[in-house]
Amino acid sequence: MKTLLQHGTLIRYLSQGVEDITIAYLPRCSSSAVTSFPFHFSCEFVFRYTTQMGIKGLTKLLADNAPKSMKENKFESYFGRKIAIDASMSIYQFLIVVGRSGTEMLTNEAGEVTSHLQGMFNRTIRLLESGMKPVYVFDGKPPDLKKQELAKRLSRRAEATEDLSAALQTANKEEIEKFSKRTVKVTQQHNEDCKRLLRLMGVPVVEAPSEAEAQCAALCKAGKVYAVASEDMDSLTFGAPKFLRHLMDPSSKKIPVMEFEVDKILEELSLTMDQFIDLCILSGCDYCDSIRGIGGQTALKLIRQHGSIENILENINRERYQIPDDWPYQEARRLFKEPMVITDEEELNIKWSAPDEEGLITFLVNENGFNNDRVTKAIEKIKAAKNKSSQGRLESFFKPAANASVPIKRKESKCMLRSFKPEIEHKMFSLQLSNWSRPMVFGKLSLPIYNLGSKLCAFV
Amino acid sequence: MLELRLVQGSLLKKVLEAIKELVTDANFDCSSTGFSLQAMDSSHVALVALLLRSEGFEHYRCDRNISMGMNLNNMAKMLKCAGNDDIITIKADDGSDTVTFMFESPTQDKISDFEMKLMDIDSEHLGIPEAEYHAIVRMPSTEFARICKDLSSIGDTVVISVTKEGVKFSTKGDIGAANIVCRQNTSVDKPEEATVIEMNDPVSLSFALRYMNSFTKATPLSSTVTISLSNELPVVVEYKIAEMGYVRFYLAPKIEEEEEESKPQA
Repeated sequence: MKTLLQHGTLIRYLSQGVEDITIAYLPRCSSSAVTSFPFHFSCEFVFRYTTQMGIKGLTKLLADNAPKSMKENKFESYFGRKIAIDASMSIYQFLIVVGRSGTEMLTNEAGEVTSHLQGMFNRTIRLLESGMKPVYVFDGKPPDLKKQELAKRLSRRAEATEDLSAALQTANKEEIEKFSKRTVKVTQQHNEDCKRLLRLMGVPVVEAPSEAEAQCAALCKAGKVYAVASEDMDSLTFGAPKFLRHLMDPSSKKIPVMEFEVDKILEELSLTMDQFIDLCILSGCDYCDSIRGIGGQTALKLIRQHGSIENILENINRERYQIPDDWPYQEARRLFKEPMVITDEEELNIKWSAPDEEGLITFLVNENGFNNDRVTKAIEKIKAAKNKSSQGRLESFFKPAANASVPIKRKESKCMLRSFKPEIEHKMFSLQLSNWSRPMVFGKLSLPIYNLGSKLCAFV
Repeated sequence: MLELRLVQGSLLKKVLEAIKELVTDANFDCSSTGFSLQAMDSSHVALVALLLRSEGFEHYRCDRNISMGMNLNNMAKMLKCAGNDDIITIKADDGSDTVTFMFESPTQDKISDFEMKLMDIDSEHLGIPEAEYHAIVRMPSTEFARICKDLSSIGDTVVISVTKEGVKFSTKGDIGAANIVCRQNTSVDKPEEATVIEMNDPVSLSFALRYMNSFTKATPLSSTVTISLSNELPVVVEYKIAEMGYVRFYLAPKIEEEEEESKPQA
C-alpha cells in the first residue's frame, strides 16, 4: 500500500499494522514538495526492530514523566567528546540499510557481504570529522538469561527465512524485501571484520566480556568517555550517566541527537537507581518476561507505591496480574547492577592513533573491492580530522551558570505525540521534545532505519 | 513589556552581521541594565557575548528580566530592511510570541514595522570568571582582520605569541609558513591606529583561523580590537561599541595532546 499521509494519519496506520508506507512531508505552504520526499520503509520491520531492543516503552515513559531528562542537541555539539558506541547494534543497522536491494547486498568479489564495512567506515569517518572520538564496544558472551530472548529472535529469523523462500518462489518483490531484511544476522565474521577495520583506522575497540551495553555504561561511569551512544535503552538501566540516541543516524536525516541523563531521570521520577532498575524489569527487558497487564505507566505507579519488586509481589492482586511461574527478576536485577565488565585500564587500552594507510588499502581495496580513490580520500579525511581533535571545548574552561532571565514566550506543551495517546502503539516511537515554532517535520518521529533506496550504495 | 529605542540603528545591523555567522539561534536577554546575548557556536568551541547598556538607548523600558529566542539569520534579514540612518525600536509584549522591529526614517516620513516569530531555545549559559590576562594586545581592528585573512590562505591554525618584542602571528600549511610580527607603536597621529601591548608573562597559544576570521566580521563596529591572552584560557577578542558596550568573542585554544602514536595492531 502506498499513499501520501499526514503526520497523525501515519501513526494510526502504523498502529494498525499497515505494511509498507511511503511518507511525504508536506510543508504548510507548498504542495510541489510532495514528490520530493523519497522515504519508504516497511513498518512491520520498524515494529519488530524497535520493540525487541532494550526496555519496552521507556522512551515514552520518560517523555511523559521526566521530560527534563531528555534534551535535543545538535550533532556538532559533541565536538571533541569521547563517545562509547555499541558496535553490534550499529553493525546490525548497517547490514540492514547499507547497499541493499531485495536479497542482494553489497559484496566483494568472493561474494562476501561488505555492507557492514561500508557503513562502519563511512559513519566512523563522519564522527571523526566532527571531532568526536569514538570507542566501539563489541558484545561478548550473552548472559544465560538473554539466551531465551535470543532463541526467540532465532526462531523469528527462521520463520522469516521460510517466508523468504516462499516469497522468492512467487517473486513478490515487496515480500522479498521485507523478509530478507528479517533474516539479517550479525555473525562473528562481521564482528571480526569491523574490529579489524576500526583498528586500522586507529579507533579503539573494546571487547566486552558480556553485554556491550553494560561495558559502555561502565566506561561512561568511570569517566573514560563522555557518553554512551546506542539505540538500546538498556544503557540507562545499566546506569550510563549520559546516553545518546540517533548519534549514528545518517546526516541526511537531520535528526538531532537525543541526550538522556540518568541523574535527571532519577530526580524527576523521584526514584533511586535500584528502583529505576526494578521499573525497567517490570516494563519488560531482554532478560525476563514482564507481567501481563503491567506496562511502563503501571510499573511506575507500582514502584512509587511499593518501592521494590518484592513489595509489589506481596501486595499485588494476583488474580488480576499473572506472575510468570519462573520469573528470574532477581537474576535480571543482578545483571543490571553488577554486570560483567572490564575496568582494568591496561586491558581496556583506549587510545586513538593515526590510521594505517597501507593496511586500510590492503583490507578495503584489495580484499573487499572498495574503490581505491575513495578509500585514499577517506584516509585523508581521517588524517585531517585527527588534527581537528586537538581543538579544546569552552566547557573545559567555563562552567555553566544559571541565567536569571525568563523566556518572554510562554512554553507550550513539549511532547507532540501525546495528543494521539489512545490509539497508538508507542513502543516504536521515540518521543522527542519538539518545538512548535519550527515547522513540524517528519523527522521528529524517528524511526531507526533509513534510506532503503534501491540503488546500491554510493561510497562516501 | 519591552521597548528599546536605538537612534543609531545601523549599530544593531552591524552587531547582527558580526555574530550571525558564528551562531544561528540565540536568546537575547533583557534586563534593566541592558540588552545582552551569550551564545556558543554549534561545536561549543567559541562563544559570543554581546552587551548594549541601557544608557546607550534613547528610550529603554524593560519591566522584568526576560529572554527572547531568535533566529539570527531571520533577524538579520529584517534588520537589512532598515536604512542606515533609521532609528530602530525593539518592542515585545509580555507573553507574546513575536518581537517587533520598528524602523523610523530620520525625517519621520516613513515608519516600518517588522514582526518576527520568537522561538524556544534551550541554551546553556556559561559563567565567565573575571581573569587577569597574561597579555593584552590592542591594535587597529582592520589590521587584525587583514592578518587573519592573510594567514588563513596559508594554514588553518594561528599561533599567537606575545613576547617583549611584540605580538607574533604565525601559521604553517602545505605550501609553506608565515610569520607576522607587530611591534608596540604608540607614536601615531590618531590613537586608534596605535598598537599597544601590555604583557605580564609571555604567552603562546594556538587557535583555529576559521573562528578568528569569523570574529573579524565585527570589524565595522570598532576601529580597535583588544586581544586578551592567558596560557590555558580561551582568548578574548573584544570589539568595543562606543558608549554602549561590547561584542566579545571567546575561543578555546587548540591543545597539543600527548597521544602515543602507537602503530595500530591489526
